[in-house]
Amino acid sequence: MKIRLTLFASFVFLQGAVFAQTVISGKVLDEKNLPLPGVNVFIKGSFDGTSSDENGEFNFESAESGTQLLVISMMGFKTQEQALELNGESIKIPVITLKEEFSELNTVTISAGAIEASDEKKSVILRPLDIVTTPSAMGDIVGAFQTLPGTSTVGNDGRLFVRGGDASEVGIFIDGMRVGNAYGTTAGNVPTRTRFNPNLFKGTFFSTGGYSAEYGQALSSALALNTKDLAKRSQGDLSIMSVGGGYSHTLANDQRSLTVSGNIFDLKPYQALIKQDFDWERAPYGIDLEVAAQQKTAKGGLWKVLARTETGGMKLWQPQPGIESRGILVDLTNSYSYAQTNWRRAYENGWSLFGGFSYSHNKDLYNLDGLNLERKNNLSHAKFTATYDFSDRIAAKNGLEYFRNDYQETLTEPGFSRSFGENQVYLFTEWDWFLSRKFVLRTGLRSGVSSLASEEWLDPRASLAYKISENGTFSFAAGRFHQLPLENLRVLNPDLKNTQSEHLIANYLLQKEGITFRAEAFYKSYDHLVRYDGIPQNPQNIRNEGEGFAQGFDLFFRDRKSLKNTDYWITYSFVDSKRSYQQYETQVQPDFAPKHNFSVVVKHFVPTLKSQLGMSWSFNDGLTYTDPNFPGEMNSKTVSYQNLSLSWSYLPRPNLIIHAAVTNVTGHENIFGYQYALTPNEQGQFESIPQGQGAPRFLFLGIFLTLSKDKNANQLNNL
Amino acid sequence: MKTILSTLVLVFAFIFKVSANDPAFENAMKTQIAAMKSIQTPAESQTVTNGFLRIAEAKTTEWLPLYYAAYLQSIAAFRFEVNKDEYFDQAMELVTKADKIAPNNSEITALKGFIIMGKLSVDPMSRGQEMSPLAMQTFGKAIALDKENPRATTLMAQMELGMSQFFGSGPEKACGLARVGLELFAKEEAKVTENYLLPTWGKDQAEQVAGVCK
Repeated sequence: MKIRLTLFASFVFLQGAVFAQTVISGKVLDEKNLPLPGVNVFIKGSFDGTSSDENGEFNFESAESGTQLLVISMMGFKTQEQALELNGESIKIPVITLKEEFSELNTVTISAGAIEASDEKKSVILRPLDIVTTPSAMGDIVGAFQTLPGTSTVGNDGRLFVRGGDASEVGIFIDGMRVGNAYGTTAGNVPTRTRFNPNLFKGTFFSTGGYSAEYGQALSSALALNTKDLAKRSQGDLSIMSVGGGYSHTLANDQRSLTVSGNIFDLKPYQALIKQDFDWERAPYGIDLEVAAQQKTAKGGLWKVLARTETGGMKLWQPQPGIESRGILVDLTNSYSYAQTNWRRAYENGWSLFGGFSYSHNKDLYNLDGLNLERKNNLSHAKFTATYDFSDRIAAKNGLEYFRNDYQETLTEPGFSRSFGENQVYLFTEWDWFLSRKFVLRTGLRSGVSSLASEEWLDPRASLAYKISENGTFSFAAGRFHQLPLENLRVLNPDLKNTQSEHLIANYLLQKEGITFRAEAFYKSYDHLVRYDGIPQNPQNIRNEGEGFAQGFDLFFRDRKSLKNTDYWITYSFVDSKRSYQQYETQVQPDFAPKHNFSVVVKHFVPTLKSQLGMSWSFNDGLTYTDPNFPGEMNSKTVSYQNLSLSWSYLPRPNLIIHAAVTNVTGHENIFGYQYALTPNEQGQFESIPQGQGAPRFLFLGIFLTLSKDKNANQLNNL
Repeated sequence: MKTILSTLVLVFAFIFKVSANDPAFENAMKTQIAAMKSIQTPAESQTVTNGFLRIAEAKTTEWLPLYYAAYLQSIAAFRFEVNKDEYFDQAMELVTKADKIAPNNSEITALKGFIIMGKLSVDPMSRGQEMSPLAMQTFGKAIALDKENPRATTLMAQMELGMSQFFGSGPEKACGLARVGLELFAKEEAKVTENYLLPTWGKDQAEQVAGVCK
C-alpha cells in the first residue's frame, strides 16, 4: 500500500515539477572554517542533490515541495539534517559547519609504555610475523620481545625481564584471561620458553609500564596475546624439525573453525650429535596436544575455545663448587594444562560485552639427589567486561574479575605438605576522553581484595597522548601497581601483603611510512618487596620490607623502506635499578637488570634465492653477582653478554618452507653468574663454578609443509 | 499460513517489479554511470560517488548504487594521491552495506576481494601474509557464486599472477584464468544494452594479465 502511495505521490510531484522548482544554495565549512569540498547535499528520499565545490559551495534545484529534510553528509563526518519548506522560492542556507567523526584512524593513540604487534591497528611497532622471523627468538614469542625496548636478556633464564623488574613481574594474558605458569618448568640455569606457539595469535600487546586498569597482579609489565579469529581455510600442517615434529589440522567454514595439533620434541638425538657443556642424564623432552576452536554466534558475536595439555621433563647433573663428583642429579617432570573460553559481541547501540573463563593447572615433580618434591598450582580466572561508547569522544570500560588460586608443596618422604587457597576479586573502570582528535586522556581505577593476605587496595592509573605533528606524538603514563608475592613464599608466610610499584613514563613516537622512532624515559618505585634471612633455598623471617627503584630510558629505530627488501631495527635500553630484596640487606643492582642493553635485528629478502635471511645481535654489559671472597653484596659483574644469531628461510614452493637458524655464531663465552660454595675451603677461599651456556651454539633445522586445496598456503607464521 | 506466505511472495514480487521498472531510478543510475567514465580528478570521483550515495539513500533496497560508490572509492584510492587506507576502509564500509541488501551476490563479493587487494597493496610486506589468502578466498567465493562473473575470474587471475611472480613459478594458472575472464567479458558484452546497469568493468585488467602470457 505504502509503495503505491509513494508511487502515486512521486507521479504527482513529477508532474508538478515544471511549475515548482526550488533552488537551494549554501556553503559547507569544516571545524577550522575552511571550505569543505565534495560534501553530499540532498533532499532526503529523493534523487535531488549535489556535491559542494572547491569553495564548499553548493547549489541545486529540487522538484519536491512542502516540508523536506535537507541532508548534508560526508564520510568521516557527522551527518547533519535540517528541515526546509520548499515552495518554488530560492532558499539560501546559512553556513553549515560539519564536524569530523572521531575514528581510530584520525585520532591520537596513547603509546606510552605500549608496544603493539598487530595487523589491524595503527601505531603498531611490530607485526605478528616480525616476531616469529626474528632469528634469535627461535620461534619463541618472548624471545622476540627480548629485542624490543625496555627488556633485558637473561640468557640462562629465558623469561621476559622488563626495566629492572624480575620475570615474575610480567603478567601474561591470552584474550584478556590470565595464564598461570606460562613458561615451561625448567631446572636452574637451563633457559625456558613460552608454552604457547606464536601461530595461535593474531596480535600482541606488550606493555613495559603504566598499563591499563584492565590488568593487575604484575608490577612491571603486561603481555596480552590475542588469539586468531575464524581460520580462513581447511588445511594440514606438517613440521619436521631437528628437535622434534608435529602435525596440525584445521577444519574451517564460514561459521566455525577447529584446529587440532600435536607435537613431540626431544633434544636427545640433537645432543647425541652436538657436544653439550651440561652433563645431561636425559635431554629435555615433551609432548603436547592443543585444540583451538572459533564459532561465530548470532549477530556478530564470536565464541572461542583454547585448550592445551602437555607433559615433559629433563634430568641433569649439576656440578657443585668445591666437589669433584658430577654433582647433584636434578630430575624434573612437569605436566601442564590450560583451558579457556571467551565470548565477545559488539552491539549496535554502543555496548560491547566480553565474558571469559580460564583454568591453568601445573604440576612439577622434582627429584633432587633422591629428595622428592611435588609442586601443584591451580589458577582459575573469570572475567566479565562491558564497554560503552557514549559518543565518538567518550568511552568507558568496566569489568569484574574473580581469581581462585590453590598452591601445594609436598615432600613425598616423609610426607610433609603445605598449601594455601586464595580468592581474589577485582573491579575496574577505565574511561577514554577524546578532548580533540589530537588529545586523549585515559583515566582508570582498579580495586582488588585478597582473602589470604586479607588486604584491600586501590590502583589509580592515568595516561594521555598529544599529537604534536602529523607523525609525532607525545604521551605520558602514570599509575600504581600491586602484586602479591610468589606462591612458594606465600605458602611459608600467608600473611605476606602486596608488593607495590609506581610508574611514571614519558614517550615520544614518530611514525612515517616505513620508519618508526620511539624514545621513552621512565621512573619506577618499588615498595614492600619481599625480603628474608638466610638463603633462597631456605628463607627465614619472610617480610614485606624491601624497596628500591628503576629509572632509565630506551630508544628504538626501525626502518623498512630505505634499503630494498630489507627491514631492520635497533634498540638501546638503559636501566639504572637498585633494590633491597630477597636476602640482600642493602639496595643492590639486581642480577637480572644489566645497565646497557643493545640489540639489532636485520631481515633481508632475496627474491632470486626465494629466501629471507635474518640476523640478530644482542648485547648487554653483564650481570651482577656477589663474590663472597670480597666484602659487600652484588660486588662483581660478569663479562658482557653477546649473541649473534643467523637464520635462513627458503621457500622453494609456496607451500613448503625450509628454515635453518644458528644462535651465538661467534661462540661468545657467555657467563650469567657464579655459584659459590657455602663454606670456604682450606685456603679460606669460597670456590666457584661459572654459570655458562648449555652449548656454545644452538642449531635449528626445520621443514614445514602445508597441505591444502590452496597451494599457496604456507606456515610462515610458524617460524 | 499459506496465505501469509503467498501474500509475502506477492509483495516481494511487487517490490522487485517496481524497482526493475522504476524509470527515475534507472535514469539516475544511467546518469551517474555515464559520468563515471569521464572521471579525471579525485573531486570528480567524489561528485559521482555522492551521486550514487544519493540514489542509495533514496532507494534503500538497491545494492547497485552502493556497489558503484564502493567501486569508485576503491578506484580513487588506486588512481589518486589520497589517504589510501581511509579510502579503502570507506569502500569496504559501503560494500558491506550492499552485501546486507543482497547477500551472496557474486559481484559484491568480487568487489570485496578487490578492496582487500587494495588494502594489501598499501603495505604488501606486512599485510601480504594475512591478506593475500583472504583475497584469494574471497575471489574463490565470488567465482563459486557465479561462474559467469568475468570480474571474479579476472581478479583471481591478477592474484595468481602476483603469487607466481613472488614465488618465481610459471604464470600458467594466471594465464588460464585471464583467458577464461576474457571469454566471459565477450559473453557479457553481448548482453549489454543501453539500459544495462550492472557492472561491466575489468576487461583492461584481464587484458593486462593476458598480455604477460604472450
